[in-house]
Amino acid sequence: MKELELESLSITDLAPRVKKKEISPVELTRLFLERIERWNPVLNAYLTLTSDQALAGARKAEKEIMRGKYRGPLHGMPISIKDNLATKGVRTTAGSKILAEWSPDFDATVVTRLREAGAIHLGKTNMHEWAGGGTTINPYYGATRNPWDTSRIPGGSSGGSAAAVAASMCLASIGTDNAGSVRNPAAMCGVVGLKPTYGRVSVFGGVPGTGGYSTNHFGIFTKTVKDCALVLQTIAGKDPRDPLSSDEPVSNYSKNIGKKIKGLKAGLIKGYFDELMIGETSGIFAQAVKQLKALGIKTEEISIPHIDLIPAVQNATSRVENVSDHDHYLRTRPRDFSPTLLYRHIHALTIPASTYVIAQRVRRLICQEFEEALRRVQLIVTPVSIPAPTIEECNRGFMEANGQKIRFQEARGSFWGLTTIPFNVTGLPALSVCCGSTSSGLPIGMQIVAGPFQEGLVFQVAHAYERAAEWYARRPPLP
Amino acid sequence: MKEIIRRLNAEYGFNLSEEEIELIAKQAEEADRMFQRLYEVDVSGIAPIMKVDKKGSDR
Repeated sequence: MKELELESLSITDLAPRVKKKEISPVELTRLFLERIERWNPVLNAYLTLTSDQALAGARKAEKEIMRGKYRGPLHGMPISIKDNLATKGVRTTAGSKILAEWSPDFDATVVTRLREAGAIHLGKTNMHEWAGGGTTINPYYGATRNPWDTSRIPGGSSGGSAAAVAASMCLASIGTDNAGSVRNPAAMCGVVGLKPTYGRVSVFGGVPGTGGYSTNHFGIFTKTVKDCALVLQTIAGKDPRDPLSSDEPVSNYSKNIGKKIKGLKAGLIKGYFDELMIGETSGIFAQAVKQLKALGIKTEEISIPHIDLIPAVQNATSRVENVSDHDHYLRTRPRDFSPTLLYRHIHALTIPASTYVIAQRVRRLICQEFEEALRRVQLIVTPVSIPAPTIEECNRGFMEANGQKIRFQEARGSFWGLTTIPFNVTGLPALSVCCGSTSSGLPIGMQIVAGPFQEGLVFQVAHAYERAAEWYARRPPLP
Repeated sequence: MKEIIRRLNAEYGFNLSEEEIELIAKQAEEADRMFQRLYEVDVSGIAPIMKVDKKGSDR
């Protein structure tokens, strides 16, 4: 197998060949490590490499498979983990200066489940400082660059994970999503990104202070929808160590993949997303909806009466919950946060308890409105993000588009988080799939959303779209 | 708002400059205007969501 082949191969392609002993996990892991060695100096997707551990894991996997002990489709598959998930004996910084030397003595549950499935852990991926932003321009560990155009950001906060999957520096990655931190980078890097239903995946072992208790989720990056289903199958399910994880039975997520989607009804939300589709996004999203219709999906406009209050709900809940985890460091090492993050935390300390509670009440109202809408349609489709801005645009804080100045950070939060936070506030499963490309070749994502715990339906529709549109087959033109 | 931030500055020992206090106060006031809209919603009979682990609107 040659390095170049890695770019076109997915877990779904490789797993049967590993099972049949046609491909050696050790050889596969070496190829990925060589690719990381070649591209990571350009992209800065990984903060810490665990090459020795990966090779040891690959040798173990190979022995087991040779002996006929095949653990399943992730056995021998090289993956990466965002740097705010605890990994035993491996530095876990959360992209922060404060945790620069922290090496946990335990694994996050998700990491344990992946190890038990035989996945090979290549390393920890770069992220926005404390997951507190959407650019992955990290003041302490440098900016991660977008494989589609290295002058641009990969999105964030899980930017390293998205870039690593897009650049074929791993087959899958685990990220976290408090406001779109999986779906936005997935969209900007042209890969699949899933934020499952709240509680579907344990968040035990997530670094405290990298998301709000009400809104944070762990999520998955892969090249294809099928791969995403395989990873979710491995990590989903109740975890006694996470009291907020759900005991809802885990479905067979691959079961309906490949089945026709004709006759399903998708809702298009009126109003809210219109101002968020800038540049070419609007036309690309319209084309994607047209493609869904060609596959037999019916569409209907739906209304969520209080949707405009979602940014207020998101900020009043997640910022308050988040800052509560930082109290110790705010008292002892305040200047070891970047100024932007420090100011945001101080602001969060000024939010009254009554605002937090009213936000949680309005949140329930909004959840009920989505539930009502999902009685009339099975799915909701929305755009995910703007095309990836340049690092320079991010540093100056705005870009010009649609004849206006788009400020990236405002009271409502990050501009590109506005498309994704409705599903952090409601906890509904939401997947970003590449739905097109701008004239300059930058990927754009479409978000497919369903009712609670209906990830199987999300995969079914996303897979049908992915295969019909074929954007997944494009590869970044790495220099 | 500036007074609140000054109090926090003293309590936590942030060592903020006057310029920083003004900047944070401006951001907080902008967010506060956004939060005020939450109080305009009729939430009578609606309990806050404090734990999200079940299907449906009881989440």
